[in-house]
Amino acid sequence: MAAIETTGLAKDYRVGFWRPRPYRALHGLTLTVESGEVFGFLGPNGAGKTTTLKLLMQLIYPTAGTASILGRPLGDLEMKRRIGYLPENPYFYDYLTAEELLGYFAGLFGYKGADRKVRVDRLLDEVGLGAERRMQLRKFSKGMVQRVGLAQALINDPEVIFLDEPMSGLDPLGRKDVRGLILRLRDQGRTVFFSSHILSDAETLCSRIAIVAKGNLMASGTLSDLVTAQRNGWDIVIDGLAQAPAAGGALRKVTSLAPGRFVIDAQPTADPLDLVRALTAGGGRLVSINPVHDTLEDLFVRQVDQAAGTDRFGGAEPMGKSA
Amino acid sequence: MSAMVSVPTVARIAANVFKESVRDKVLYSIVLFAVIVIAASLLLGQLTAGQEVKIIKDLGLAAISLFGHFIAIFIGIGLVSKEVERRSIYALLAKPMSRAELVLGKYCGLVSTLTVNVVVMTAALVVVLAIYGATVEPQIRNTWEAPAVDPALATAAFLTLVELSVVTAIAICFSTFTSPVLAAAFTVGLVIAGQFSADLKNFEHIVDNHAATWLLNALYYVLPNLAPFDVKAQVVHAQPVTPTYVLLTTGYGALYVSALLALATLFFSRRDFK
Amino acid sequence: MRPGRLPIAPFLAAAGLFVGAAAGLQAMRDRAFGTDTPAEQVLYVQSPEVARRLALSYDAIAADVYWIRALQHFGGQRKATTQSKNYELLFPLLDMSTGLDPYFNIAYRFGAIFLSEPKPGGPGRPDLAIKLLEKGIAASPNKWQYYQDAGFVHFWGMHDYPGAAAWFERGSKLPGSAWFLKSLAAVTMAQGGQRESSRLLFKAILESSDNDWMRKDARHRLEQLDAMDAIDSLRKVVATYRERGGPTPVTWQALVRAGYLRAIPTDSAGVVFSLGPWSGDVSLGEGSSLAPLPDTPVAPPPVPTR
Repeated sequence: MAAIETTGLAKDYRVGFWRPRPYRALHGLTLTVESGEVFGFLGPNGAGKTTTLKLLMQLIYPTAGTASILGRPLGDLEMKRRIGYLPENPYFYDYLTAEELLGYFAGLFGYKGADRKVRVDRLLDEVGLGAERRMQLRKFSKGMVQRVGLAQALINDPEVIFLDEPMSGLDPLGRKDVRGLILRLRDQGRTVFFSSHILSDAETLCSRIAIVAKGNLMASGTLSDLVTAQRNGWDIVIDGLAQAPAAGGALRKVTSLAPGRFVIDAQPTADPLDLVRALTAGGGRLVSINPVHDTLEDLFVRQVDQAAGTDRFGGAEPMGKSA
Repeated sequence: MSAMVSVPTVARIAANVFKESVRDKVLYSIVLFAVIVIAASLLLGQLTAGQEVKIIKDLGLAAISLFGHFIAIFIGIGLVSKEVERRSIYALLAKPMSRAELVLGKYCGLVSTLTVNVVVMTAALVVVLAIYGATVEPQIRNTWEAPAVDPALATAAFLTLVELSVVTAIAICFSTFTSPVLAAAFTVGLVIAGQFSADLKNFEHIVDNHAATWLLNALYYVLPNLAPFDVKAQVVHAQPVTPTYVLLTTGYGALYVSALLALATLFFSRRDFK
Repeated sequence: MRPGRLPIAPFLAAAGLFVGAAAGLQAMRDRAFGTDTPAEQVLYVQSPEVARRLALSYDAIAADVYWIRALQHFGGQRKATTQSKNYELLFPLLDMSTGLDPYFNIAYRFGAIFLSEPKPGGPGRPDLAIKLLEKGIAASPNKWQYYQDAGFVHFWGMHDYPGAAAWFERGSKLPGSAWFLKSLAAVTMAQGGQRESSRLLFKAILESSDNDWMRKDARHRLEQLDAMDAIDSLRKVVATYRERGGPTPVTWQALVRAGYLRAIPTDSAGVVFSLGPWSGDVSLGEGSSLAPLPDTPVAPPPVPTR
């Protein structure tokens, strides 16, 4: 059974007061997340990532399509007992302390008494909140609120955890902690679905990813499937040349870094040793040579440009058309 | 299934609302101000040529009603609006609860708060009246229509509380589908109209048009009639307020609240939280 | 001085100076132009029905406010030294008060007494007093005190003794009415404006009144009646003395020495009666708190100023 499954999930908004026009925030999203995966849901701002998460949490209702979590329909109370959710830029009740907030949420799951207290303490330890747990949330920094948010998402030992931009507002130490936490959750066999526009996190954490842009699913699959290991070229830095080498043929691009110093972007098919010999023959000195591989960023930028450039999906579109 | 409602969940949400109100400085200020006004009525008595007990009771009951209305309307509207605006509702709704439970929980929480506030203000009034009654000569005390500390005051306070429960339900209902400002305006408007409800019935004597009369009569029955909850004048003049009257009026209030909460639940369950 | 944060003292002083100057300017302006007519002379809302709508469910407290205004209006006019006292607002204010609270007992009774007080000391409007009382009777048909007050108004304000008797009679028929209403009916019918009926009426007020100042004034009036009785009998004594050839100027001491009086006569306030030495006329002593003695019928009691 898939942890999360969506079929043609779409969301239209009506924009404008006097003559509202439909604005399609999400075009028929179909994807599957298997149990135990760490799934990265990537895309630029405004791509529909938060819309998707809110649809899954039933904070908003879909215009079309269906989805299920743990095999159960959206909004199912039994299913909600087994999931956790951290919203983007979360806000919690600032008149409560961290302990009280977690206690309140734990109570909503039915935990009582000593069991509840133990659980709350454990989770606050796990996210790294010490004595601050007895302070009112209004005094918390953004990073501390984010930690509380993570704690409340995990209060019920969920099987599936939804995180919307979990790294937002965190300093590098905080992000390291969250990365560690996500890996721990994976090791515990839980499914983690998180949205982000920070690609390096996805590269380190995810088994599978999806890229959305302008409400469309542009690509999805494992990293190794999507990001080819093939070489795209060579980056060669030569110093001490009297003049710039001529671009053309194997030398795709020549850029001057400083007088006499150049970086050369060479075709992947070129033999690196030949190139270096040719370039240093005129008195140059090799500084560095690096193979260039396709990165996730390259893929990302390509997909986003494609979504923007083709303009197939911009503006109003009648409902019923699948992506 | 969002139609199912579990009492423990509603109770937990209500308890959270109560906790929020206890820590709310604005609420404290309002109640404190009401208590000060009630105590100050002792001074006003000097101006009334022997009518001190009447003015203390009038002012006290009016203060309980007025400040209670402020709390019911403005905090009632904030209950749902603030959650949605600040988006604390996102994390809350992801927990195992239905939208219906959330609305009911908020309502019950505020009614609990109002009950405590009304009790506190009524206690302050009773204390002031007891102090005044003790300092006055017996021959003057004998001329009063009702004793200074009159159990009927509790009846007036109770019916005020029932009225405030209806007003809270109105406020929550409007706030589930409009902005806070509009919700406040509509709620205040409906509460004021509720005081004139009786006039609607009398219009048929003034207006000749049959259709208009029918419409006004229908409005009389549909709009909340809030005037019967006001027994302040009767209590001060020692006119009896019978248990039957209290029962019928409370029943009306309960039914109206049920209708409003049903609507509120409906609106709340169908909306998108952008 | 820290950069950015301004010093407290100079700015507070400056603010204080500005406010002081503004207050001084206001005082100067008031001296030159006089303040506006006092707010209590204006009645923005004229109709009790409208006021009832506007007050929403706070009509009882609004009634209290109008009552306080009525008292201040009446007291203010009483104290005023202008020749003609203007009680224009008294009835409207009491009308508003009782319109908002139809069971406002004291407002009806106060209105009855003071609206009927004759000029120049009072408004001299017994017709409005009756109108107010009829409103009270409409709201509380069994309140016999209103009938008593109506009788009072007819007696003092309108010198209408049969009318007064009729009201007392109607009042006496109500359940729980005071015992003396029947006697009042009989007495007023029989004796009209005699001192004895006045005495009975004020005794009735003394006994029945639930209000301190009403009782005080009834007592005062009774003392005045006693003084008038005393003056009458003293006049008789002086006349007898002179008939029997007592020398003029006539003084109290002479009368005492002659055995006509046991002691120098004083009124209940302790002030010696005055005796005109050549005219033989007896009247209240100067400075007596019982002055001015009324002619029968006795004028209604004044409001005690606090």
